[in-house]
Amino acid sequence: MSLSRTSAAYNVIYAVVLGTACAGILTAGSSLLAPYREANERADEIRDVLGILGVPFEPGASSADLIALFERNVQREQRGRLTLYRQVDADGRVRAVAVPLAGRGLWGPIRGWLALEPDLKTIRGITFQAPDETPGFGGEIMKAPFRDQFRGKTIYGPDGKPALRVTRGEGPTAPNEVHAVSGATLTSGKVDQILNDLVRQIAEETQADVR
Amino acid sequence: MSVDVVQLGGACPAGGPCGGKGWSTFVGGLWANNPITIQVLGICSALAVTGRLSNALVMGAALVFVTALSNLLLSLLRRTMPRGLRLVIEMTVISTFVIFFDQVLKAFYPSMSKELGPYVGLIITNCIVMGRAEAFALQNPPLVALVDGAANGMGYAAVLAAIGLVRELLAYGQVLGLTVLPEGWYPRNLLAAQAPGAFIVLGFLVGLFYLLRPRQVEADAAKAGGAP
Repeated sequence: MSLSRTSAAYNVIYAVVLGTACAGILTAGSSLLAPYREANERADEIRDVLGILGVPFEPGASSADLIALFERNVQREQRGRLTLYRQVDADGRVRAVAVPLAGRGLWGPIRGWLALEPDLKTIRGITFQAPDETPGFGGEIMKAPFRDQFRGKTIYGPDGKPALRVTRGEGPTAPNEVHAVSGATLTSGKVDQILNDLVRQIAEETQADVR
Repeated sequence: MSVDVVQLGGACPAGGPCGGKGWSTFVGGLWANNPITIQVLGICSALAVTGRLSNALVMGAALVFVTALSNLLLSLLRRTMPRGLRLVIEMTVISTFVIFFDQVLKAFYPSMSKELGPYVGLIITNCIVMGRAEAFALQNPPLVALVDGAANGMGYAAVLAAIGLVRELLAYGQVLGLTVLPEGWYPRNLLAAQAPGAFIVLGFLVGLFYLLRPRQVEADAAKAGGAP
């Protein structure tokens, strides 16, 4: 049977063959490159963790180098639903601990990291990724002026209960309080909620370690 | 046949691997019929990714790769292609090359992949690629189609590189991330880093191309006895 170039069968066969060939090439390429892509994704996360723990690394380092640096310096431990990332020095002493934070913001998800001193009480630093929050308002939680307030604060209130408050207003703050971003009351409220859920969880899972 | 290649330097000798059309096709894509400054296609990415020279160069490389190979493959397929599926086939072939390039970039150059964001994937809809496939690859033999694709890609890349160079220099005093105009001495002009800066630089460049080119076109048109 000879196929005419205008026949429906020719069209269908041509489309199927070309589509399959192209899909095959892309699938093969994608699976060959998958390990590199996964290493890059892992390196992105590692950059965040190393940054918040204060481990120095070269910004241009390759994904493989970053993963090696991470494995050398950081120990991971799962406690319930909480993952602790401990920075351990050459003598085996814990220098800092990072925990991931995640929750719902006003317009979309908020993710980030909270780093604690080895006492598991004092905050060493915090980062947020909130791509959906309004730039200039809720988006300000990602910037240094808001984040720097957290350094040296504690995740326990004066009554010894775990709490970390994001409060409105001006003036001095309690050791477990930071000022909200003005003009972003709703986003600040969400951050308050995320942080309080997180510190309660940390308190529950690490009670035995807190000195 | 609607191949709008401007002939330069009189008649080309017949024969050769491109049937005597290789050189004029090459010059057409790169200069005389440059896709950005003369045809004013592919402006979106030319404005979006030229804040830094390095971004412009990678984007240019992507377009050379995609336009050259899709032109070659589509020209090879042109005699067997069912007419009714022409555009679908073009899109499929172009998308395959674009997605492949995007995957390679993501795997080996993730920071650049992030810088360029969606613009690599958007090459699929770049008018230059589709335009060359439609206007050239389907009417010409594979080798000369390859030359046409590569030349148009290079024409795009050269213009992007020029815009990227000027913008990076004006905005940061740098070339490829290396400071050439010292910070204290050169006041940084962040307008050049923003979209309006891109429009202004591109505008000057289009003007420059027309300033240098029109006599050539008019002379050719007069010789051919038609409108340019």
